[in-house]
Amino acid sequence: MFPPPAPPPAVAVRDLWVRFGEVEAVRGIDLTVEPGAAVGLLGRNGAGKSTTMKVLAGVFPATEGTVLVAGIEQRRDPLRVKQLVGYCPDVGGLVPRATPWEHLQLSARLRRLRDWEERARDLLETFELGDVAHRVTAGFSHGMGRRLSVVLAAFHQPRVLLLDEPFDGVDPLGVEATLKVVAEARASGAAVLVSTHLRDLAVLACDDAHVMRGGRIVGSLPSAELEGETGARAYRALLD
Amino acid sequence: MPAPTAPSSTEPGHLARVRRSIADVGPLLRFRAAALRGSARRRIAVVAGILLGCTVAAAIVPAHVADAGQEGRAGELLLLLPSAYLGVLGIAIVSAAAAGGGRELLQRDQAVAFPVSPTTDHLGSLLLAPLNIAWLLQTWAVLGATAYAWGPERLGWVQLPIVLWVLIATAAAQVLAWSYECVRRLRHGRFATLAIVVAGVGLAGLIVAAGRVTALLDQAPTIRLALLSAAARDGRWGEYAAGITVLVLVLVLAVALGAPPAHRLARLPAREESALETSHYAPRPTPRARAADLRMLLRLDRAGVWRSVPLRCGVAVLALLPGGAALAGGLAWDTLLIMPGLVGSGGALLFGVNAWCLDGAGGFWRETLPVRPGVPLAARAVVLAEVLLVATAATIALGAIQAGWPTATELAALLCTTVVVIVMVTGRSLQWSVTTPYAADLRSARATPAPPAAMFGYSVRLATVTTIVGLLFAATARLDDWWVPVLLAVPFVCFGALRLARVAQRWDDPAVRGRVVATVAG
Repeated sequence: MFPPPAPPPAVAVRDLWVRFGEVEAVRGIDLTVEPGAAVGLLGRNGAGKSTTMKVLAGVFPATEGTVLVAGIEQRRDPLRVKQLVGYCPDVGGLVPRATPWEHLQLSARLRRLRDWEERARDLLETFELGDVAHRVTAGFSHGMGRRLSVVLAAFHQPRVLLLDEPFDGVDPLGVEATLKVVAEARASGAAVLVSTHLRDLAVLACDDAHVMRGGRIVGSLPSAELEGETGARAYRALLD
Repeated sequence: MPAPTAPSSTEPGHLARVRRSIADVGPLLRFRAAALRGSARRRIAVVAGILLGCTVAAAIVPAHVADAGQEGRAGELLLLLPSAYLGVLGIAIVSAAAAGGGRELLQRDQAVAFPVSPTTDHLGSLLLAPLNIAWLLQTWAVLGATAYAWGPERLGWVQLPIVLWVLIATAAAQVLAWSYECVRRLRHGRFATLAIVVAGVGLAGLIVAAGRVTALLDQAPTIRLALLSAAARDGRWGEYAAGITVLVLVLVLAVALGAPPAHRLARLPAREESALETSHYAPRPTPRARAADLRMLLRLDRAGVWRSVPLRCGVAVLALLPGGAALAGGLAWDTLLIMPGLVGSGGALLFGVNAWCLDGAGGFWRETLPVRPGVPLAARAVVLAEVLLVATAATIALGAIQAGWPTATELAALLCTTVVVIVMVTGRSLQWSVTTPYAADLRSARATPAPPAAMFGYSVRLATVTTIVGLLFAATARLDDWWVPVLLAVPFVCFGALRLARVAQRWDDPAVRGRVVATVAG
């Protein structure tokens, strides 16, 4: 009897390059995230974190390199990869004249989810969006928009949860709800990638962290090493 | 009630504030121009040169036609000039009111970072008003007609009052448009503005029904403009100078009068927009049958159109105004056939030329949904075509009241023109949406899907194509054979379908979609 083969990594990125004209946003990064793990992407503005997230989410194609999600190459089967990924973009992410419920309904329809209504209601309640479920998102505050983006990313229980700046402008209850979503996703075997500027929250949400600078990963360390004053100094050293 | 605070001695006086507001227009224009890069800047310079050339040509060339300034046709035209001058005012009012008060020099979300005074905003809107195909065509028409009617003698002096009148009409329309927008923003303002429109249309209907149109136009105050031109040609310089002085004073007054309502408007809450953004929409069941993905996307795209204030107003204006004009003018079917093209090109300018802007920042999220790229593209095409069809149908229905039953050939020509215009305009609009997207927030009544210069370019190109199509089919409507327009429609529809297929092919490329989404999401 052979032991069952090990499951492929949830995310495997090899030598990823992303160029926009003459600008090299991502310059040859390698990244692996195992199922059930949570990894933080940290770095200064323009370091390439959001572009990396967008490539993983299928918004931007990679210029060079390989992106595998649950063993599936994104370039070959982008629709299958999109089924497996949940993405909260760094800005906006909401259709302005649609309601939260309509966003969830569209996601459920396109992902062929059945009996999704109860989970949708639970998530909206958890993020205190239940009473605005049928209001258009154009009138939402920044924090409400961020919270709904996290709901949309986590709604279909993806194998890979990508959260880009999920804590930005979010109140403490929203932060708590987001951390709960991250913990639940990990418990169900999903891989979580969190891009954030908030070092303390990255420590809370993730086991490991990659620090990016100028489109490259310049340091990888357990997130606990980023804690406190010592962590701040270590982080700062990687940014300069 | 708290007592008003006395102005601080360090605050600038009223005149100083006005001077600063005027001075701010220049840097804002330069800021907009700086956003243009390389070829776009050159293109705009070329287009501006062409437009200026066309304007000069319109004002001079007709005066040198053989029978210009003679009795006969030119003499008859002279009698119609006051009505044409009044038409300039009408078009200017409708354009400014439909644009929610006028074009924005700086988009609302960008302007928040700068201390832009409502006076500056007002002056900016005035400067941008000529970037409108209807305004330009009307201006060229009156300049050309004046030149032809009076002939080459002292032409510059003859045209001067007309140029001043065009500027006065634009400034006066701006005053009315700001005031109309102020009324709309009051409590129950929606109903008040609706009442104004209904009363205006009703009054026009009564005048038409009573057969008093000609009698009223004969008493139009714009007759004085024609008299002023006559004074110039006859060398009555005292009378002419007095008239020009009055026109200049009226122009300065009209420009100045726009500032108070612009300031008032800046302090009023956008009630209708807020009401739409805070309304609750009852959930509807998820579609499950055939083409459910497309139907779900259509639902979301339709919400994007019908829950947007500028789009709703735009569709209403487009559906009622050309039809109302056709009804008032008692147009026959061969002239009504131009209407689908006119409405089609106007409809595309509401959102179609930058169709992905309906998603705004939600484009990033939508792009991560597991659906073949062709399905959202098809949904967007269908929604645009629906809007064009609704507006065209309303226009034709209104025009048909006076035109009566069409013959079989006229009906065939009408249906074929409509189909051809919708297919061609949809294809062209989606092509532009993919090649040149813009970040646009269609929340405010003044918002447009692209910057003013781009909108102008789109309107010229769409109007040219759709007018040619309309004229071609209007010619076939005079024939006895109904199959001629049908046959003529085939290559146009094939061409439009081919363009749509090319757009779909392009949209299939993830790099193209990524660029569009990133631009539109701003």
